[in-house]
Amino acid sequence: MVSNAKELAEKRLARLMAAMNLEEPDKVPLAGVGGDIVPAYSGLSMYEYCYDSEKALKAMENFLKDFPCDWPFAASVSGLDGRVFNVAFSEFPDISINLTFITGPMHDVLGDKYYRYPGREISEDSSPQFIGGSFMEADEYDKLIEDPVKFIAETVLPRACRNLETPRKAMATMVRLGTEISKFNAMMMQTVGLMQELGYPAMALGGAYAPLDLIGDFLRGVENLLLDIRRYPDKVKAATEALVEPIMNYALAHKNIGATLAFIPLHLNEYLSPKLYKEFYWPTLKEVIVRLVNEGFKVMVFFEGRHDAHLETILELPKGWGVAYFEKTDVVKAKEVLKGHTCVMGGIPMGLIVGGTPAQIDEYVKNLLEKVKPGGGFILAPGVGTAPRETPVENIKALIEAVEKYG
Amino acid sequence: MLEDILKNIVEMEEHEAINKAKEYLEGGGDPQKLLEVCRDAMGEVGKRFEQGEYFLSELILGGEIFKGIMEFTLPKIKSGSVQKIGKIVLGTVKEDVHNIGKDIFKVFAEASGFEVIDIGIDTPEEKFVEAVKEHKPDIVGMSCLITAGVTSMKKTVDKLKEAGLRDGIKIIIGGGRVDESVKEYAGADAWADDAAKGVRLCKQLLDWRVD
Ligand code: B12
Repeated sequence: MVSNAKELAEKRLARLMAAMNLEEPDKVPLAGVGGDIVPAYSGLSMYEYCYDSEKALKAMENFLKDFPCDWPFAASVSGLDGRVFNVAFSEFPDISINLTFITGPMHDVLGDKYYRYPGREISEDSSPQFIGGSFMEADEYDKLIEDPVKFIAETVLPRACRNLETPRKAMATMVRLGTEISKFNAMMMQTVGLMQELGYPAMALGGAYAPLDLIGDFLRGVENLLLDIRRYPDKVKAATEALVEPIMNYALAHKNIGATLAFIPLHLNEYLSPKLYKEFYWPTLKEVIVRLVNEGFKVMVFFEGRHDAHLETILELPKGWGVAYFEKTDVVKAKEVLKGHTCVMGGIPMGLIVGGTPAQIDEYVKNLLEKVKPGGGFILAPGVGTAPRETPVENIKALIEAVEKYG
Repeated sequence: MLEDILKNIVEMEEHEAINKAKEYLEGGGDPQKLLEVCRDAMGEVGKRFEQGEYFLSELILGGEIFKGIMEFTLPKIKSGSVQKIGKIVLGTVKEDVHNIGKDIFKVFAEASGFEVIDIGIDTPEEKFVEAVKEHKPDIVGMSCLITAGVTSMKKTVDKLKEAGLRDGIKIIIGGGRVDESVKEYAGADAWADDAAKGVRLCKQLLDWRVD
C-alpha cells in the first residue's frame, strides 16, 4: 500500500510537472473539485468544517478517496485570503507565511471586519465569505507609500480588527493568534500525511499577491480604488510600487518551507480596461512574478473572471514561467495564444458540474480535450474549484471518468 | 457646451464634466436639458460596456460623475417638473453584499427617470416588505450575485405574497446569478443581467399599470 501510494504520487507529480514544463504528459492532469461539497459529502455543516479540524480532515479523506484526481488543489484548507496580514508581518518571515489563510478560529481571535464565517456572522451552512471594506482614507496614500508595512500594521489593522483596536487588546490577540497558528500548522502536517497516504504529490505551495489587489481588497475597497485610479493616479501607482518589496519578502519567505510554486489569485484584472491594466495593475504584478521566477519559483496565477482583453501581456513573462489558471476565459483561445510559452489551466465551467448531466460532461470533456491536449502544457481544472453543497456527486464522477477516457 | 459635457462624461473626464456642468447652470442654462444630456451620456457609457469597449472601472466612474452632477442639478429643477416615470424599491438580497451592480443599475434607472429607493445590501426579507408598504413602488428590484442569494429571492417574494403585497407590484431580478429558470423559481416577473436591459424591462413592466 505504502509503496503503491508513493508510486502513484510520483506518477501524478510527473504528470503535473510535465504540463508545467510545457511537455506532453502521459495523461492530461486533472486538478479536482473541492469547496462546500467536501463537508457536504460527509454530512458535515460548513461550521463544523471550518471549526473542527478533526472532522474536516476526515471529510477531506472521504472525499479524496472517492473522487481521486492528480492534484487536489481545491479540496484542502478552509480559510480565506489574508494577504494583508502577510504584508503586516513581512519583516518576520517565520510568522508571515502562516497567515495566507485566515481560518474561522483566527477570524474569531482577530475580530476582523474582512470575513464572515458560518455559525458566526452567517448561518452554519453558508460558506465562509470575504466582505472586505474601506479601512484607509483617500488622503492617506502618502503614508502608505512612505512605509507600507508600518501603515498597514499600525493604522489599517487596528481599524479592520476589533481585537487589535488598542495595543493592550492587540497583545492578548497576538498570543491567541499564535496558538491558532500552531493548531493550523498541526492540521496542515496531518493533511500532508493524509495526502501521502492517498497517493497525492506533496507540493508545498507558496504565495504572493498583485499589489493593486492588496489595496483594493484590504485597504480602500474595490469601488473606492477604481475611483482613486482616476482621481489620484500618481499616488495609486506609487503605492503599488511601494508594496512590491513587502510582498516579495512574504513570497520569498516560502523558500524556508521548500516551496517551489507560488500561487497568486487575481481580483481586479477583469475590472480594468487594457489601458488601466497596463498602467496600474500589470507592471508591479509582472515585477513580482519575474522576481519569483529569477529566484527559482514557478508561479501559478489565477486570472479571475474574463481575462481575454489582457491575454497578450502574459507573453511578456519569461517562457516557462508557470501556470495561467483561467476562470471564464476561453482556454482553447488562451492555449492558442500561449502555447509553447505558458502552461494553461482550467476549462471546466462549474455550472456544467452543478447543472449538467453525466452525458453532457462526457461530451464536453471529450470535445475540449481534443482541442487542448495536443502538445501538452495543459492542466484540466474547474474554472473555480469550489463546488457548492448541492453539486451532484455523479457529475464529479462523470468528470473523473471522462478524463480517464479522453485524457 | 452641452455637447462638451456629454463628451466629457463619456470620455471619463470627471473634473471637466463637473466644472462645465456647474458653469452651464451658473450661466443660466436649463437644468432639465442638462439632466437629459447626462442621461444620454450614461446610455452611451452603458452601450460601450455592453460592446466590451468599456470595463467595470469606466462603468463605476461614469456612475460617480453622473451622481456628482445630479447633486447640484436636481435641486435646481422645480419639483413636479421632473417627469418621474415610476418608482423602484431596490436592494441586494439577504446574505449577499455585492453592491456595485446594484448601484450601477440604480444610476441607470435614475438616469431614465425612475425614482429609486435604495434599501442597501444583505437585505432581510422583512425589510423589502416594510419598504414596499412604506413607499408603494411600482417595481421591486432585487440584485443577486451569489448562489445563496437565490433562496433569499424566493423567500422575499414569498414574504411579499404573505403580506398581500405581491399583486400590487412587479418584481425584477438582476445580477450575475439570475436567468430565466431562477426567475421562475423565485417567482419574479423579469430578469436582467445588464443594467441597460434591466431599465428597458422596467419600462415594459410599467405598461402593466396602464391596463
Ligand atoms: C467584486 C466582487 C466581490 C467584492 C464585492 C465588492 C462590492 N462592494 O460589491 C467582494 C470582494 C467583497 C466579494 C465578495 C464575495 N464574493 Co464576489 N465577486 C465580485 C466580482 C469579481 C464582481 C461582481 C461585480 O461587481 N460585478 C460587476 C457588476 C457591474 O455586475 P453585476 O453585479 O452583474 O451587475 C450588472 C447587471 O447584473 C445588472 N444588475 C445588477 N443588479 C441588478 C438588479 C436589478 C434589479 C437589475 C434589473 C439589474 C441588475 O446591472 C449591472 C450592470 O450591467 C464577481 C465575479 C464576476 N465577474 O461577476 C464575484 C462573485 C460574484 N463573488 C463570488 C463569491 C463566491 C464571493 C464570496 C462568497 C467569496 C468568498 N468566498 O469570500 C464573497 C461573498 C460576499 C457576499 N456575502 O456577498 C462569486 C459568486 C459565485 C456563486 N455562484 O455564488 C463570483 C461570481 C466570483 C466567482 N466566480 O467565484 N466579491
